Amino acid sequence: MPRTSERLLAVAPSPAFWVAVVAYTAAAAALLVVLGGHARLRPLALALVGVAFAAHGADIGWRGTLHVHPAQSVREALGFLAFIITGGYLLASMRYRLTLGGAAVMPVSLVLLVVARLTPAGTAPDDLSTLGRIHISLATIGVGVFALASALSAIYLVEERALRRKRFDTLAFKDHGAPLEPLDRLSHRLIWVGFPIFTVALVLGAIWVSKLGESLDRPEYPLAAVTWIFYAALLVVRQVYGWRGRRAARLNLAGFAAALLVLLIYLVRRMAG
Amino acid sequence: MSELFVVGISWRTAPVAVREKLAFRDEELTGTLQAMTAGLPVAEALLVSTCNRVEVYGVTRPGADATGPVRAFLAAQRGLLPAAVADVLYDHRGSAAVRHVFSVASALDSLVLGEAQILGQLKAAYGVATGAGTSGPVLGRCLERAFGVAKRVRTETAIARGAANVSTVAVDLAKRVFGNLAGKSVLVIGAGKMSTLAARHLYASGAQRIVVTNRSPEKAEALAAEIDGTARPWDELERLLVDADVVISSTGAREPILTRALFKRVTKARRWRQLVVIDIAVPRDADPAIGELDGVYVFDIDDLEKVVAANLAERAKAAEHAGRIVDHEAAQFEHWLRTQGVVPTIRALRERFARVADAELQKALDQLARKEHTPAQQREVVQRLVQLVVNKLLHQPTAALREAPPDEAGLRAEILCQLFDLSPTGPAGPSGAAEPAEPAEIDEPRQTQQALDRAIAEPASPERKAAT
Repeated sequence: MPRTSERLLAVAPSPAFWVAVVAYTAAAAALLVVLGGHARLRPLALALVGVAFAAHGADIGWRGTLHVHPAQSVREALGFLAFIITGGYLLASMRYRLTLGGAAVMPVSLVLLVVARLTPAGTAPDDLSTLGRIHISLATIGVGVFALASALSAIYLVEERALRRKRFDTLAFKDHGAPLEPLDRLSHRLIWVGFPIFTVALVLGAIWVSKLGESLDRPEYPLAAVTWIFYAALLVVRQVYGWRGRRAARLNLAGFAAALLVLLIYLVRRMAG
Repeated sequence: MSELFVVGISWRTAPVAVREKLAFRDEELTGTLQAMTAGLPVAEALLVSTCNRVEVYGVTRPGADATGPVRAFLAAQRGLLPAAVADVLYDHRGSAAVRHVFSVASALDSLVLGEAQILGQLKAAYGVATGAGTSGPVLGRCLERAFGVAKRVRTETAIARGAANVSTVAVDLAKRVFGNLAGKSVLVIGAGKMSTLAARHLYASGAQRIVVTNRSPEKAEALAAEIDGTARPWDELERLLVDADVVISSTGAREPILTRALFKRVTKARRWRQLVVIDIAVPRDADPAIGELDGVYVFDIDDLEKVVAANLAERAKAAEHAGRIVDHEAAQFEHWLRTQGVVPTIRALRERFARVADAELQKALDQLARKEHTPAQQREVVQRLVQLVVNKLLHQPTAALREAPPDEAGLRAEILCQLFDLSPTGPAGPSGAAEPAEPAEIDEPRQTQQALDRAIAEPASPERKAAT
């Protein structure tokens, strides 16, 4: 049985993966060119994002036919996370001009995808239970939604800074990017979507770990709790004290950094076996 | 050949003191245009007169020069000596004129680059010219194209992006914070032309309501009535600030009235909702320190000017791209104009060929219908028909080439070679004076006709067929 798991995790990237890699790179480059003032290329850049998204989805599907599912391991989940981020960006850019955000999000998706596919697989847990699969799926979706929210917050901070410092000749100002208030609102709504999902994932994870009989003294477990506390606090201060804008965006980024750290520790541990 | 021309004066060549002397009132336009086309070598004409330019766009009568007479005409119309305006009037002809019209329509020649007002003025001027009956096919096509180019330039370049004057910058900045101004409320503190203009622009961009406050209630009432707002008493200022989304302040106060202490209370009461403060007063109404508070964005008059400068710099960059679009479109229009000249010739040529072919075809059909023919005979009739048509069509050009005066024969031969893509061989080239060799038996249509008649009268024997 362990041999089968190793084989499954070592599935080679599909042709669609390489298409996605090229499309992500091209999309990031095209978005930079759009930022440079060639607004006419915007549809082309968004089309490239669409191609990357489709190819990425095809790669995930192809792996599915080989019985490698997004919820199988943190490594696979990372690839799926990048997929969610790209999809979310595509949706949001239908409504707002998010060129600057896209130029930042595309490389992130690309790196996540490449890490997910090209890093050494390590060995998979032999007994990935249904509980474990649900935990990984929900955690991935939750973190994916948080990732989108924090991307919007990052754009908010960059644009806000340009506006507040009156840097009227900077790219962040000249791009006529998404307006501040809607960015803030959208980011907040995404956190409201991601938070319950992440909460359930956290509880299931705790149950899973205790069922496996492992100890809870690994650093990622308290760190996951810290992530949850960050987001819970963010929702509370916003709802009760009306925090928004700069302060909310910074808290959001801090929460996401904690979530990323958890993922990173998992990944390193898995790679190290 | 007739060509397009432009004669005019604009902000580029003359100050307003001169421009106003040459300006035309709307009600003068029709009469002026009709006088121009009646008395000058001008076939089509349009006159656009705005505060920044007075220009005549026209089409000359074939072979005539119109720019000189139009210059004199414009001066005479305004009671000036032509010499007095010689230096400030400019003129363009042909492709330069087309490019100029396209540039003007695209607002590339406007005082404020990209300012679209001129497009509406051009459309109105075109309407007047059409009404006066002085706009014709060439000018009409040129203007329609110019409107198309203007639209292309606006959508494909950043020429009209970003506010280009201080009172619209307020809208631009508010939109950067709120996106959509629908449902937002504007608070105008104090009075002043600029704040009135800015409030109007905000209202036109969707802001839901305008509240006006002033130390003097009468002034507040007056301004509120003027811009469809509501006047509120001055002592409600703090509450008004809590409710507002955009504040435009331009009081004559010597000390800041929007102080940090006031805004600390206000932002907290607003729960840090975004607030845009446009301070156009000098000395400033807003303490710059309030810009450090969460959710507050303060812009003073210098900031607004800086935004305008930055936007205009962007527009200037876009103008290069726009210029290339204009050049390309002007070249296409030129091409259309040139082909217009040969259209009648093409039509005549086609009609003539069709006439010859139809006549011969009818004759052949009649012959075939007269009696029964064997397939071989039918074949012969068709062969003869084709030969006959070719001969008839070639008869005139051949004769013209043979009978050409010696100095023209070479040129005619060369043109023929070009038109029919020929590459003559033998001692007599296209530029040679010698006649092109030609088989004698198909020289004259008459001979061929006789041969055809013979062929129909006596059925062809196999030997004869072989000989042909």
